[in-house]
Amino acid sequence: MIKLANVTKKYGKFEALKGISFEVKDGEIVGLLGPNGAGKTTTMNIITGFIEQTTGNVTVDGIDVLKKPNKAKKLIGYMPEGVPLYNELTVKEFIKYMAELKGVPKKEIKENVQKVLEDASLLDVQNKLTRNLSRGYKQRVSLAGTLVSNPKVIILDEPTVGLDPKQVTEIRELIRKLGKEHTVILSSHILSEVSQICNRVIIMNKGEVIAIDSPENLEKKVSNKNIVYVTVEDTGNKVIGMKEKIEGIKDIKLEKTNEDGTKKYAIEVEETKDIRKTLFASFAKENLTIFEMKKADISLEEAFMKLIEKGENK
Amino acid sequence: MKAILKKELKSYFLSPIGYVVIGIFLLCFSVFFYLTVFAQGSVDLGALYYYTALYGLIIIAPILTMRMFAEERKTGTEQLLLTSPISIFKIVMGKLFAALIVVLITLLISLMFFAITKFFGNTNIISTLVAILGFILISIATLSVGMFASSITENQIIAGIITISFLIISLFAGSINTIFSSFTLIDFYVPFSYGIISLESIISLILFALLFITLTIIVLKRRKLVR
Repeated sequence: MIKLANVTKKYGKFEALKGISFEVKDGEIVGLLGPNGAGKTTTMNIITGFIEQTTGNVTVDGIDVLKKPNKAKKLIGYMPEGVPLYNELTVKEFIKYMAELKGVPKKEIKENVQKVLEDASLLDVQNKLTRNLSRGYKQRVSLAGTLVSNPKVIILDEPTVGLDPKQVTEIRELIRKLGKEHTVILSSHILSEVSQICNRVIIMNKGEVIAIDSPENLEKKVSNKNIVYVTVEDTGNKVIGMKEKIEGIKDIKLEKTNEDGTKKYAIEVEETKDIRKTLFASFAKENLTIFEMKKADISLEEAFMKLIEKGENK
Repeated sequence: MKAILKKELKSYFLSPIGYVVIGIFLLCFSVFFYLTVFAQGSVDLGALYYYTALYGLIIIAPILTMRMFAEERKTGTEQLLLTSPISIFKIVMGKLFAALIVVLITLLISLMFFAITKFFGNTNIISTLVAILGFILISIATLSVGMFASSITENQIIAGIITISFLIISLFAGSINTIFSSFTLIDFYVPFSYGIISLESIISLILFALLFITLTIIVLKRRKLVR
């Protein structure tokens, strides 16, 4: 559906994008992830035709964005960062205007506007001026304006910034629903969000794509430590000594002592081993009561940081 | 284009701008009606439109145009506009026509001065219509200048000041050097105020407007590369 090939963007000597390539398939929800200044917004602006790349090709549904901009723009719904709205219009007027701009046939405008007003739960504010709305509502109005033309591709730049947790959940739910019929690209610097909604993640840093994969695979790719957390009642400080008694343990560290007297240890194990069964048996033998045992999975947060560090060390 | 025109027009009248512009225009018309027709006992409305074009447009054009692109740029709504499947030419023309319509509304109201004069004397409808035609052309030209000014900055005030400065300087441009005389817009209006349709004036004013419309389009297209 969307294809970028060797896209660069230069501002004078500064390279905002250093030749990025990726493809988004029909019906995918893809997350663009990266720290501030990674080039996410620049990438989105190029796909939507708001700015022009210095070199490289961008096609949307096979249409070259530079050669046939209006045809390509018709396929795309774009919600820019910072949710720009026309202050002097009411919610309904704004959404209607967006439909007209996008070239929605006259007969369908009324119906489409009504539908997105319902979908974005804006019915009770539809006659309010957009300037008087709270941030969360503005975001939804902007999203509704994006959806009103029923575009094949939906591009959302930081769709959940500035929302309260309840609204964040709602927007995510909406995006997930949209992913069933549309191709969605969203940018974010919140990892948990991306891993929850997206089929694939594109991690960017300093104008480069440093990884493209599913959230699960990304986690796997970078996890190289196998750690088990155990919380035990350890009055005799026996746990540290278990290192010699059980095979495969690399290191045991005391993480913290809880108020109830139990202690939490981090046990680092050789990579491929699952040691939990042995741990349980051996601890029982030593009369150490296990209150909690958990295999640590590396979070996407860590994966992200690692990938970025790797990229920077290159 | 229709969508943009409709929305722009709505914006003019949802904000005070539309009313302020019509108010200032009518004030100009009334003052000059008093000075030219009433005080001198003349039935010629050409002078009325001439002076309004000369002094009125200097204030009106910047007010009507300063927001056009500057505000969209500042609030970020230009992203919505420029990512929609409408060509920049149509966007520019939509906005220009909306501003022109506000002027047309005033010109329509200004016909009451014709009615008043007609009631008391024998004024010529043709020469009045020619004066109005010229007024429309010179409005398009000045509005194009203002639109261009609005496209090069995100600050409406600066856009307004550029427009006013340009229009004031253009008044004296001809007297500085004859090379600049074609920038003295008001000179092109003189034949119209005498009820003469001058082809030279029509072409000059249209070319003048086209120049600034083209410049606006170039600026907006260029910005795609440097934004």
